[in-house]
Formats: sequence, C-alpha cells, structure tokens
Amino acid sequence: MAGDRAASIDPDALSWYEATARQRVLALTDPGSFREFLPPTERRMSPHLPLFDLPRAFDDGIVVGRARLDGEPVLIAAQEGRFMGGAFGEVHGGKLVGLLRAALALKPKAVLILFDTGGVRLQEANAGETAIAEAMRAIVDVRVAGIPVIGLIGGRAGCYGGGGLIAGTCSRLAVSEGGRISVSGPEVIETNKGAEEFDSRDRALVWRTMGGKHRRLIGGADAFCADTVSAFRKAARDLVGRAPAFDLDTLEAEQARLEARIDRFGDCRDATDVWARLGVNDPESVPAMDTDAFAETVARSPEADHDAR
Amino acid sequence: MGEWRGERRARDARIAAGRAHADGKVVPAGAVVDLLESILRPGDRVCLEGDNQKQADCLARGLSACDPDKIHDLHMVQSGIVLPEHLDVFETGIAKRLDYSYSGPQGARIAKMLYGGQIELGAVHTYLELFARYFVDLTPNVALIAGVSADRNGNLYTGPNTEDTPTVVEATAFKNGVVVAQVNEIVDTVPRVDIPGDRVDFVVEADTPFYVEPLFTRDPAAMTETQILIAMMAIKGIYAEYGIRRLNHGIGFGTAAIELLLPTYGEKLGLKGKIATHWALNPHPTLIPAIESGWVKQVHCFGSEVGMDRYIRERPDIFFTGADGSLRSNRAFCQTAGLYACDMFIGATLQIDLMGHSSTVTQSRVAGFGGAPNMGSDPHGRRHPSDAWMKAGREGQIVGDPALMRGRKLVVQLVETFGDKLVPTFVEKLDALELAKKIGLELAPVMIYADDVTHIVTEEGIANLLLCRDADEREQAIRGVAGYTEVGRGRDRTKVEALRARGVIRRPEDLGIEPLDADRALLAAKSIKDLVHWSGGLYEPPARFRNW
Repeated sequence: MAGDRAASIDPDALSWYEATARQRVLALTDPGSFREFLPPTERRMSPHLPLFDLPRAFDDGIVVGRARLDGEPVLIAAQEGRFMGGAFGEVHGGKLVGLLRAALALKPKAVLILFDTGGVRLQEANAGETAIAEAMRAIVDVRVAGIPVIGLIGGRAGCYGGGGLIAGTCSRLAVSEGGRISVSGPEVIETNKGAEEFDSRDRALVWRTMGGKHRRLIGGADAFCADTVSAFRKAARDLVGRAPAFDLDTLEAEQARLEARIDRFGDCRDATDVWARLGVNDPESVPAMDTDAFAETVARSPEADHDAR
Repeated sequence: MGEWRGERRARDARIAAGRAHADGKVVPAGAVVDLLESILRPGDRVCLEGDNQKQADCLARGLSACDPDKIHDLHMVQSGIVLPEHLDVFETGIAKRLDYSYSGPQGARIAKMLYGGQIELGAVHTYLELFARYFVDLTPNVALIAGVSADRNGNLYTGPNTEDTPTVVEATAFKNGVVVAQVNEIVDTVPRVDIPGDRVDFVVEADTPFYVEPLFTRDPAAMTETQILIAMMAIKGIYAEYGIRRLNHGIGFGTAAIELLLPTYGEKLGLKGKIATHWALNPHPTLIPAIESGWVKQVHCFGSEVGMDRYIRERPDIFFTGADGSLRSNRAFCQTAGLYACDMFIGATLQIDLMGHSSTVTQSRVAGFGGAPNMGSDPHGRRHPSDAWMKAGREGQIVGDPALMRGRKLVVQLVETFGDKLVPTFVEKLDALELAKKIGLELAPVMIYADDVTHIVTEEGIANLLLCRDADEREQAIRGVAGYTEVGRGRDRTKVEALRARGVIRRPEDLGIEPLDADRALLAAKSIKDLVHWSGGLYEPPARFRNW
C-alpha cells in the first residue's frame, strides 16, 4: 500500500493536499494507534452506484475509526477526495454519522473530521442529503456533551455543498492555502448567475473568494496551517484545547456576527475589498504571501479570532 | 513580354487607396473595415496571422465585417485557424479557399464546413511546409499581422511572441504584397525592431491587446502516477541509453512529467549534463526546475508562454533574448532547429495503428498538424553525426555497406494505452482514414507515419521499432505494449515474449524500474505554486492556473 511507503509518511514532508485519506489519518495520529471501523475488508460499498454502471470503493470513500493524538483518545473520519470527489453517499454518510453517535458513548477527547468533498453524491442524493442533516444533528449532540468537533480542510476537493454545512457546525476549523470552504461551488454559481458574476475558470478569483486565506482572515476558519500533515496535527491539537462552549450565548453571538458581516462587507465586489476593510495594508499581496507572512497579517487582524465563527 | 512591373503597380494602387483612411501609416481601429476594403481585391491570397498562440484578432474582426459584395473569394493562407472569425469569413463568402496548418479549437467546425463544401481546401500542412510555400506558390498579396507596439514609421516590436511574423512579412513585403500590422499601442520608440518599418505599410492601433493562448502550461497538480511511470521509463530507457542532449518535447502531460523528473529521478541516475541540455522548445513552465538546477544549457523557442516573460528576461544565458531583454522567438527557425539539429522528438498522440502510424484526428475533428510531423520526422538531408543519431542508425540498418550507414532521428510516441474517457489509444484502423474518405481528402491526415516512428512508450513498456525486422514483428511489438486495449489483448504471447527476450520490448522491471516508485513525490514541482517558488517569484501564472 502506498500509504506505508516510508518516503511518503513523514508528517513533516507529506503534503496534505497530495496525500490520500488513509495517509492523512496515519500520519496525523500517534504512530500505530489507528483502528479502523468498517475497513475496506468489510466491503461496505454503495448499493446505488452499480445502477449507474459506476465503479465502487471498498470503503465508499471515507475512512473512520479511533486513534490517539498525543496519547489522548480521538475519533477520526477522513474523506477520500479522489473517489467521486469525496461526495456523500448513503454508506459514506452513514459511516460519518455512526462515528459521531459513537462519540457520545466512547467520550473521546475530540472528534476530528478531515473534509475533502464536493458535497452530496448526485447518484444517491436523497440518502446523501439525509446524511448531511443527520451529521449536523449528531455534531450538535456531541458538542452539547462537551466534546469538541474539529474540521481539517486542505484537500483537493475542498469542502463544498453539504460538507460546507457540516463544517459550519464544527467547534473549530483549520484550513490550508489550498483548502476551500463554501456551499455552492464555482461552477454551480457560474451556471446559475453567469460568468460575469463568477468566472469559475478564474482560479485566482475562486481561491480569493473561497480559499483558506480568505476564510481565515474573516474568521470563518480558526487556524491557518502550511500544507503538511504535521502542521495540521499541530493545529488540531491547539484547536482541541480552545474549543468554544456550545450554548445559547455562543449561538446568539454567532448570529449577530454573521449579520454584522453582511452589513459591513455586503457591497464588496472582491475579496481584496473585504481584506482592505479588515485593515490589511496591501490586500493585493495576500495571495502570494507565504505561511509566516500570512500569520503576521492574521495577527494584526482583530476579527480573525472569535468564538462565534 | 514587356510587362515586368504589373504587381508593383497594383501594390502601389492598393497602398494609395489605403492611405485615404490613414494618417501616414497609422490607421485608427474604427477605420479597419474601410482600410481592408480599400486594399483587398477579390480572389487575393491573404495571410491573417493566426499562430498557435498569438492572434491578429482585431484585424480578424475587421475582415469578417467587410462587405462580401466588395471583398470575396479570398484564398486564406495562414498557419492557425483558431478564432471563430477565421471561419466566419468562409460562411459569408468573403473567403473561399484555405491552406493552413493547425486548427485546434476550431477542429470540429472546420470538419463540418469541409464536409458541407463551404471551404475549398488546398491542404493541411506542417508549419514549415506552409512557410515554404509562402515563398513558392502561396505568396500572400496581403498580410494582416500582430505585434505589441509600433512607431509611426511602422517599425514593429512583436514582443516575446514573435512566432510566424518575420516569415509572413518576408514573403509578402518582398514580393509586392501589402503588410498591415495591428499593435497594442503606437509609441515614439519601440523597445526593439523585430520588423523594420519599410516592410510594414499600415499600422492599426487595436481596440484591445491581441489575444495569446497559454497553450504550453501543464499543471503539475494534474499529473498522474501512470504518467510518472511512463516518464521514468523514457528517461532511463531512451534518454539515458541514447544520450539524448538535443531534443524537442511535445505539449502533453507525459513530456511535462519528464521535465519535472529531471532534477529528481534524473539526478539520482547521475544523468545531469549527459541528457536534455539543448532544446527547441517553447518556454514551458514545467522546465523551470530543470533550468534552475543547472540541467539546461539553452532553449530556442517557437513562441513564448503567458506568464514566463519576467523569468526569461532574468535568464538570458538560457533563452534567446533581444537587446531590450525580452524573448525573441521565431517559429520558422525553431521548426528548422527541431528538424535538423535535434536528435529526438518525443510527444503524445491520440491514435496509433498496428504499424505505428499515428493521428490526432478523430471522426468529427480536423485539428491539423502544427509542427509535430516536421519535428517528428527523420530528416534525410541531415549530414552531421552525433552519438544518439548514429546509435539509432546502427539499430535500424542491418543490410548494406556499414561505411555508407547514416544515422537516424529518434521519434518517440509517449502514450497511455487508454486516453481521455478510457478511449483506447491503439486501434486497428485510424479514424483519419474514415474522415479522409468522408470529406474527400486525397491525403489522409496522418500525423506521423510509421516509418518515422522509432519508439512507443506506454505504461506497459517500451517498444523499440528500430529493432523490428519485419511487419509481423513490428505489429507484435506494438501489441506488446498496448496493454488491455483490444489491440493489446490480440497479441501473440509467444512472439511478444521472444521480442522481450531480444530487448525489442522492455517492461519496467527489465529497466530496473519498480512501478510502485512512480510516486508524485518524485515530481520536482507538484503544483503551479511550486513552479513560482522554483522561479524565485519570476513566473507569473495566468489566473486560470492558480489555486491561491
């Protein structure tokens, strides 16, 4: 298996963006600690894809299980963006929901969700949509029980559609430059509103609008990390330690913050306008900044850190 | 006899008519149609500069807006049919006959129009072949060209994308033709003179800068492990074995993967300085890591590439640059370099048949040839030896006097057994033959003929066609690397194993390559951003290739 190859498994060298779901899980958690639930040997595959003459994956594109992070028990789910864009199908969604519900009984230190998804799988849309709703409900229960749910986003497929909704329910999110978070994808927006509104082929525009740097600057994500597994590991540890309370105060603050965001930035034509209003000195230079320079910029922006995301 | 200056007089009359719409040589963009209607005559041969990258788009729009009652039956002689306007003129009757080279984006429409009889086709050429005919029997009466800037005397700066312009102007201006250039701006002094002003009759200040297509940018993020495996086999089994120093690469992902493996895999094999030092190649962004690691000695370019200008300016030891510092490209010279001064051409194709004929034509598209058949051919006029050329010659020639043996250019096809959407690359019969029959072409549009191909590389192995001694061996050698396609499954196992024992077919393990080592970790750059880092921030990729 490619994931076991020594050259690729060094967390400092392994690119999160390049890695498979399995490589991410193995390199992120303490060595030897991962135990998979419903592994590929169980052959829990989609019952729907054969109807469309489409190939299936033995794990339906998601890896779930328990592991340790710095010795503490965690539950972990990782979507495989290379299988059908990491999309939620019936089994895929069921595995995530089951993992989240198990957290209530197993009481781990945290649940980690490694998003890499374009949203719901069109071929099994009803089951996928249901899974999204159930996952969000389950996250609420887990957070109410005092267990933080941390989303890590930096895969090729980004975090779109229902994945974007679930991410919004998490306690904290970490994102890298290559990661994208949104609900409607660039092509969907272009199809509905026209290329004048949003040119999906202008990838610089896509990343300015939905990419990791923008999400971090406006406080949509709580940590920005370099594209290595070790950077995500460090971010995950930090975020577990500072998860916000899940109560009415937090939710009301979040509502107020979202309303204020629309008031303040609703007329901006481009993300660079938003960054300028946030007080970034040279907004045009943000996309080209390296991780350290960007961290300094974030540190000067008062709105990036907020319990109400 | 007695009339020796008829063409010259006609040219003077056209220019006099055109001057009515110009201030000296300068014509405002709004007067383009008037200008063209006054200098063109029905039946003229016209070159509307459309290269594979740079487009004289303002003049193309002007030509398509001319009145077909005044201007009709033109004979278009240009290398690229790229913009919709290039074909619109055939629908309105402004143009009637066509000789061209390349029609990538318009391939489907041109096939339809040929079939419908709207275009009277002369021939589909290679670039060098069409350029040659400009000087023999397809000399333009009027050339409509594109540059970056001009002064009021018509001195022209083409910018890094010089491409076809000098060739087109040479043929037109020195044979009583009229040259019209569109430029992005009129300046007092041009940065350098690419075309002297006395060869340019009119200068149009275009409404928008001319369009350039980033045709040679391949995103490392999209490279697959299969392509990496094929690239490893090519490096170890061909570049290293023949000691290929002088070469041309196609534009596919396979050759881009080779470029990205030179500083990693190539370095590990100790090949630095021994292979891939001198290039006839556009400034591929994926070549940046090899240049930065000291692999590349020099590169001559057909055209430029969007975003590479600053990088090229800072690397004049590698690229051909003008006194102003910017790239000077030249398609005709670079094609000649690729033909005569390179020991290898390596590129991809869409279909290969049982003998090794290849084509990029599919049933409904005529994409044209561009330069591949030229660079991918063995030049019989070559007379200088090199180790690579002589070794290939020895492998291919088994009869006759060894003292009279000559060398052989390596022409390598680098393909996956299944292409896009799992369409098999290997076929019993090329679609090109079907298409030729359907639209009545006298010559089927074959990209590279079998007798020019020396090697085929797929993920299953390398077939060395030089070592095949008859048609049956050749067929089995091709079937033997055709994987799970119908053609591959139709192999004679015994014969294929015999060919493998002789080294005609070589599998990854025969080359000492472990397929599981074909990992993206081997790529010197895994993303466009990595290329920017390698370039020290000098490479400025176009927005569509960025993910930051």
